Amino acid sequence: MTGAGDETALNLPAELRRAVASLGGPAAAGAVTTSDLSIDEELNLHSLGWEPLELVSGYSVFSVAPGYWSWGQGEIASASAAHDGAFRHAIARMHRDAAAVGAHGVVGVHVERVVASSHVEISLLGTAVRPVGTRAIPADQVFVSDLSARDFTLLRTAGWEPLGLAVGASFVFAPRRRVGTVLQQQSQNVELTNFTEAIYAARESAMERMQKSALALKGTGVVDVKVVEGPMSFASHAVGFAAWGTVVRMVGDAHQLIHPRAVVSLNDLDVAFDARKLE
Amino acid sequence: MGDRPADLPEALGRRISDGSFTSGLSVAEFAACLELGLEPVGLAQGFCAMQWSTYAMGGAFARGIAPYGGGQGGYVENYQCPHGMVSGEHRAWGQNYQQTWIEDAWLKGFSSAYSRMLEEAQALGAHGVIGVVDTVGHLSDLGIIEFHLRGTAVSVPGATAPPTPWSTYLAGQRLVKVIEAGFAPVAIVAAVASVRVWAYCMTEYLMGGTAGFFGGASDPVEIAQIVAAQLTAREIVRSSARTQLHGDSLHGASVSVLEREFEKGDLEIQALLRGNRLRRFKEFDALAVPRATVRLS
Repeated sequence: MTGAGDETALNLPAELRRAVASLGGPAAAGAVTTSDLSIDEELNLHSLGWEPLELVSGYSVFSVAPGYWSWGQGEIASASAAHDGAFRHAIARMHRDAAAVGAHGVVGVHVERVVASSHVEISLLGTAVRPVGTRAIPADQVFVSDLSARDFTLLRTAGWEPLGLAVGASFVFAPRRRVGTVLQQQSQNVELTNFTEAIYAARESAMERMQKSALALKGTGVVDVKVVEGPMSFASHAVGFAAWGTVVRMVGDAHQLIHPRAVVSLNDLDVAFDARKLE
Repeated sequence: MGDRPADLPEALGRRISDGSFTSGLSVAEFAACLELGLEPVGLAQGFCAMQWSTYAMGGAFARGIAPYGGGQGGYVENYQCPHGMVSGEHRAWGQNYQQTWIEDAWLKGFSSAYSRMLEEAQALGAHGVIGVVDTVGHLSDLGIIEFHLRGTAVSVPGATAPPTPWSTYLAGQRLVKVIEAGFAPVAIVAAVASVRVWAYCMTEYLMGGTAGFFGGASDPVEIAQIVAAQLTAREIVRSSARTQLHGDSLHGASVSVLEREFEKGDLEIQALLRGNRLRRFKEFDALAVPRATVRLS
């Protein structure tokens, strides 16, 4: 790829005619690849010596036993276990899919997650990748990462490698207040400590679980953590907290400084001049 | 200008004769298109309206009589109740099956609209169609699905017109980068998979949150019938896309999975894949590792 001002810039119309001429016959023999990467992401991968192989997916749905969302105290263990089980099974299926095509990892994994009163559903989709010309590795050594191919390139350039997805989730029941307390607080703006404490409890358990799964992968940290937290639409006294991200580890002895170059965009992000305000 | 098909709308023939071009490109895409040496010649479009009533096949009439699917070919998997005879309303068996007739109808609608778009492009003397946009939606409430494809027909000055115009969802800088990287656009790829799920008792209990009462499963367990249907839909749609590649590669694919319940325990899982079929026309040197930048505004 060439940039503006590059003296070796391609003659684009000539390249286009060459491209179109290649459509006259059948495709040359070679491996067929499928991917959801943009051309920018694929070029980023190639700059590292990696290539896309195949679009791969993982899916699982776990049941949540009835009666846990509306009454009780403390963690809704059935829901937390269902979330954990669905994620683990979906990731394991993605490992198998990727290993079957000889991949060393999966990048740009899109995570879709549904938490319903009766089940938890996890769906994963990403592109299996490998260093060009390398052999297949065992399924349990294949990494699954939700980092984009661009972020994967940046991470590797900085001397780090992704190891897998770390996930933690917890669902907690906020105990109902006593009738007297409800009546007393009815006309006041006061903190509802039962909900605050429930959110804290869910957060602590979820973050701890995510950290444990990162340590199990022998990682030193988790990057690009996504957090989803809040009330459950189907249960007025339940709150949930889920976090997931990519586990990373340094490859060499030290972090490689990237020294990014500062750029100032000449595009106006904000309108600095509004003609309608002129008198 | 190529030979015009005889069945083109009369107004389209007049527009072609008038000479000025129309395009769906943004200004930036238009500029990139000219830099690449492509000349826009017109906004080509294709439509197809399909009757869509086949979802009613089977349904409540067939439940409890016998496993229904399997006669149309494709994936079929049966699930047997572990409880023995409980009652006439008990879901004693369940089934996942591929709805090949839905897939065939969808592909027929999409392919007809696609080939009509290419036909218009060819009538405009185009070599390819860029920036393709496709929409599939309900036309009125009569059970009609409308397929609509549109894109900017372009010609390549100095090149021989191919027998069928090439096509791509890409336009603008993305298309320029594809060419620079050594790939030629061949065609858009679209595939669909439709798997019907008729839940058996365990799936019904687990999905409905009543497994603890009736199914004996109070701990969270994986719902095998749904998992099998979901994974199969994804596998079918990827395999179907692969059959359209003929040795080329699929880039920039997007997969969307839709689940709709017709009645309790009767649902369809539909997976839709779109992407660009690209052919490598030259080897290219890998880029230097990109230089990181920090934007200050």
